[in-house]
Amino acid sequence: MEMARQKIDKIDINILRNLQRDARTKYSDIAKQSQVSVDTIIKRYRKLQKRGIITNTTLLLDPRRFGDEVIANFNIDVEPQSIKEVIAFLEKQPNIKFSTHAMGEDNIFTIATARNMNEMNNLKEKIQSHNMVREVKTSIWVDQFLLCPENFELEPLMEAKR
Amino acid sequence: MSTPLDKEIVKYLTEDARMSFRKIANITDKSTDTIINHYNSLIESGDIRGSTVVVDIEKIGYQGIAAFEIDITRSDEVTSEKIMETLIVMPNVIVATKTVGEHDIMVLAVIHDLEHYQQICEEIGQINGIKNISSDIWSGNKKILPKYFII
Repeated sequence: MEMARQKIDKIDINILRNLQRDARTKYSDIAKQSQVSVDTIIKRYRKLQKRGIITNTTLLLDPRRFGDEVIANFNIDVEPQSIKEVIAFLEKQPNIKFSTHAMGEDNIFTIATARNMNEMNNLKEKIQSHNMVREVKTSIWVDQFLLCPENFELEPLMEAKR
Repeated sequence: MSTPLDKEIVKYLTEDARMSFRKIANITDKSTDTIINHYNSLIESGDIRGSTVVVDIEKIGYQGIAAFEIDITRSDEVTSEKIMETLIVMPNVIVATKTVGEHDIMVLAVIHDLEHYQQICEEIGQINGIKNISSDIWSGNKKILPKYFII
C-alpha cells in the first residue's frame, strides 16, 4: 500500500499540537514555545497547508445545541452486491452525516443526527424499507461524546522518509 | 445559541477558526468587542466546545479509521464513565461515546495499518470491565464532519 506519510519536524509538530488544542492559538505563543520567530511559524503553517497536511481549521460544536438532539450510528447489513447503491441512497438523506463501506460484521456504517427520537426512528424505518437492506442495528449516543484531537500520533513522522 | 449574530459568528469560524474577530466585526458591521463577548458566551454555554485544526490523516501516516463497539461488564468498580476516561486518553482514539442499543460504548480510532488496528483492539480489550468488542475498519481517507467529530 502506498504511504502518503510526510516528513515533519519538531516545529511543525508544535504548530499542529497547539492548533489541535485550540485553533485560535496566537502564532506569537507558538513561536515563543518553539524558540523561533513569528515569521518562521507563519511560513511553516502555510507550508503545512500547502503540503495538504492541514486542510482547514474549524470550531468543534455540540450538535445538540444546534437542534440535532439525537445522534446515532447504524450498522447496516445489505446484500453485498448493493453496497454502493445503498451508500448512495443513504447519502441523499439529509440526516445522515457520514456513511462508509465497513469491513466487519455489517457492511455499512453510518452516523446520523436528528432533531428528536421520532425523526431518528423515521430515518431508521426509511433505511429498513430499502429492498437491499437486510438488517439495521441502531446505537443511540448518550451524554456528551468525548473528543480528543490531540491523540493523533505525530512524532513517528519525524523519522519518516519523504 | 439564540441570536442571528451568534449564528453568523459560528458560520465564519466553522469555515476558518482562525478568522480574526476584527474581520468578523467588519463583515457583520458590529464592534470587535461585541464579537468577542458573543464568542465568549458561546464558549461558556458549551455551544462551542473548542476549535481545532483538521488534518489529512493519510498525510500523517494513517491508512484508515476503525470503529470499536464495546460491551461492558457492570459492577460497582466498573462504570462506563471510568472506561470512557481510559479510552479517550489512549493514543489514536479520537471519539468516544456512551451508547444505548446494541452496545454500551462506541469508539473511533485512527489506524496506521492492520497490525496497528489489532494492537488497538488488544489494548482496549485489556481495560478492566470490557466484556466484548466488535469492530469495523473503514478504509481510505474518510471525512466525517469535522465540526462535530474532528475528522
